[in-house]
Amino acid sequence: MSATIGVDRAPSVGASVRGLLRRAVRLREIQLLLAIAVVVALSAIAHPNFVSPGNISFMLADSVVTAVLATGQTIVVLAKGIDLSVAPILGIAAVVVGFPAQNHNLPILPAVGIVVVVGLVLGVGNGIFVSVSRIPPIIATLATLSVYGGLQFIIANGQEIVNIPNAYDALGNNDVVSGIPWILVIGVGIAVVVALFLRHTNLGRSIYAVGNNADAAHRSGIRVQRVIFLTYVLSGLLAGIAGLLYLCHTGSADSTTGTDSNVNLTSIAATLIGGTTLTGGRGGVVGSVIGAVFLSVALTAMVFARIPAIWEPAGVGLLILLAMVTDRHSSNLAARAHRHRQAGP
Amino acid sequence: MATAAPRTELRPSPSAGSRGDPRRRDRNWVLALVVLLVAEVLYFSVTVSGFFGNGTGLLALTEQFLDIGAIALGLSVVILAGEIDLSAGTMSSFAGIVMAVLWRDGMEIWLAVVVALLLSAAVGAVNGLITTFFKVDSLLVTLAMQFILGSVATALGGASPPYGFPSSFVTIAGTGTVGPIPNQLIVFAVLAIVVSLLVGRTRVGRSLALIGYNRPAARYSGIRVNRTIVGAFVVSGLMAGIGGILVSGLYNAARNDIGDSLLLPGITVVVLGGVDIFGGKGRISGVIVATFVLGFLTEGLLVAGDSSLSATMVTGILLLVALAFKIGLDRRGGVDVVAVVRRRLRRIPVAGEPS
Repeated sequence: MSATIGVDRAPSVGASVRGLLRRAVRLREIQLLLAIAVVVALSAIAHPNFVSPGNISFMLADSVVTAVLATGQTIVVLAKGIDLSVAPILGIAAVVVGFPAQNHNLPILPAVGIVVVVGLVLGVGNGIFVSVSRIPPIIATLATLSVYGGLQFIIANGQEIVNIPNAYDALGNNDVVSGIPWILVIGVGIAVVVALFLRHTNLGRSIYAVGNNADAAHRSGIRVQRVIFLTYVLSGLLAGIAGLLYLCHTGSADSTTGTDSNVNLTSIAATLIGGTTLTGGRGGVVGSVIGAVFLSVALTAMVFARIPAIWEPAGVGLLILLAMVTDRHSSNLAARAHRHRQAGP
Repeated sequence: MATAAPRTELRPSPSAGSRGDPRRRDRNWVLALVVLLVAEVLYFSVTVSGFFGNGTGLLALTEQFLDIGAIALGLSVVILAGEIDLSAGTMSSFAGIVMAVLWRDGMEIWLAVVVALLLSAAVGAVNGLITTFFKVDSLLVTLAMQFILGSVATALGGASPPYGFPSSFVTIAGTGTVGPIPNQLIVFAVLAIVVSLLVGRTRVGRSLALIGYNRPAARYSGIRVNRTIVGAFVVSGLMAGIGGILVSGLYNAARNDIGDSLLLPGITVVVLGGVDIFGGKGRISGVIVATFVLGFLTEGLLVAGDSSLSATMVTGILLLVALAFKIGLDRRGGVDVVAVVRRRLRRIPVAGEPS
């Protein structure tokens, strides 16, 4: 160890610990965990039931669908896009496997295959509009939001799924070991895979590069439009999987599933609260997952505080505003976004 | 209208000779829209019985979509400045509900309208202030505001929002007519002229386009950028509020469920009207024509018996096609197909040579 050399140069142990702490507090993930702790503590004081194992397990399981969606949304936002069509993709996946499952006892493995294909196809649709037709992401996905929503309506045909086979229900609501639901394990697994993908693969790093500076990425040999295309495909894929998880967890689906529960908003909220910025290139999946848990905890706390459910969207909206306003990186965002628009390859 | 709204293009054409005059291109776009409008009205008049209705039926149909036109006028001001307002749809619900609830609680109806519009403008100002003061993307601010307003409108309206307004209100803001012309059409015409003049003929309007095109340049040339952007959001909020009042007059009831379904057509109209979604260029005349193009298309499909949902799908598809087409044109540098073909042909012998 170089302790003897470092002694007179390095700051005292206390100072370096303080520096480390100060840096840690600036990390969005740590801020969020602190915020979760505060919400949980306050709610627990008012309603001791809030920290019962049952409720904690419920809140975590409830955040999984949002977390998986937010994982996909994060990928898109990292490359400086946005996907407003995850809600109907989730809905279409849920009704496409829901009806065969209810009426013909479709086993779970083919169901996984189907939602993967549905998600990929719809994601490819978004990708084509954004990276081939070069339609601005917000407009393209706003348009596919209504087109896919119409498709979901046509597929559901006014019917409702109310009864799912036991295998689905077990996946959505049973525990692996007491207190840890299957759905949570799956959600964590997906998040870990995507986090590793973003951190350690060529494509993952390219997504950051494209979001950070598309022009520089282009000059360093990254096929920018192909990377952007793939982010929408991945987002569609994850939204499709989220649809199956939603079906398993809630046991129901109909023509407005996804759209009616504002999953677009919650997925974007979790992503932004988790510290991924719309300017692209900064953030990550871990923050988004913690953001999803935070949303679930905060919304459950609202229920415990007897705030009517109609205020839920407003609560999420306020949290988005709060997350943006407290983001110290967000200054000059508009100007930077503008510069990038001009400098696109 | 086309003559009353001069173009607000501020982008210098990098190679004006080969890429075609952008001024002419913008005018061509509006012209193409007019042709599309005429073709579509003719088509539906011939194929769908009950669409044309001796002309008065056609005019009466406009009541069904002029609320969207009002929202689109406000949106185009914000979009010209390079921002976006996703809260415009629910802002309409909010304004309608506020007006109705105030009226139910005993306020005079027109005073209630004024208060509702002032509140809408104030919420628009909040959008603008958060966007400029904290320097965050308006996409997010207004996305959040969309859901906050939705909650507020639902909470205020309760399970059964007020309905059955005084006849003076319903006549003027709703279904009344002057001769064959619906009052709503007159209201819309006034709004359209005001916004056209504001954008095309005033300093503020020119500043908006410059801010949308090149914000640092706008700042260096002494334009009060933040103040102008807040103003744009106020206009957007106010216009969305007026749209909400028109909806309430049309249905003779306040609706807290209609907001979301107005946003997509509103944005579609702006984009179809030729306003660059990134800001900086566009003509209000295009937005006005696009209001009728999309409106008559939707109403034609509805009268023909399609569900409102397939009409929404058509809106989405139209938005995608129009944008893909327009962006394709812009990337190829104008509609000068002949020049493109000639250039291609000239390149053929060169293509074979090693480089």
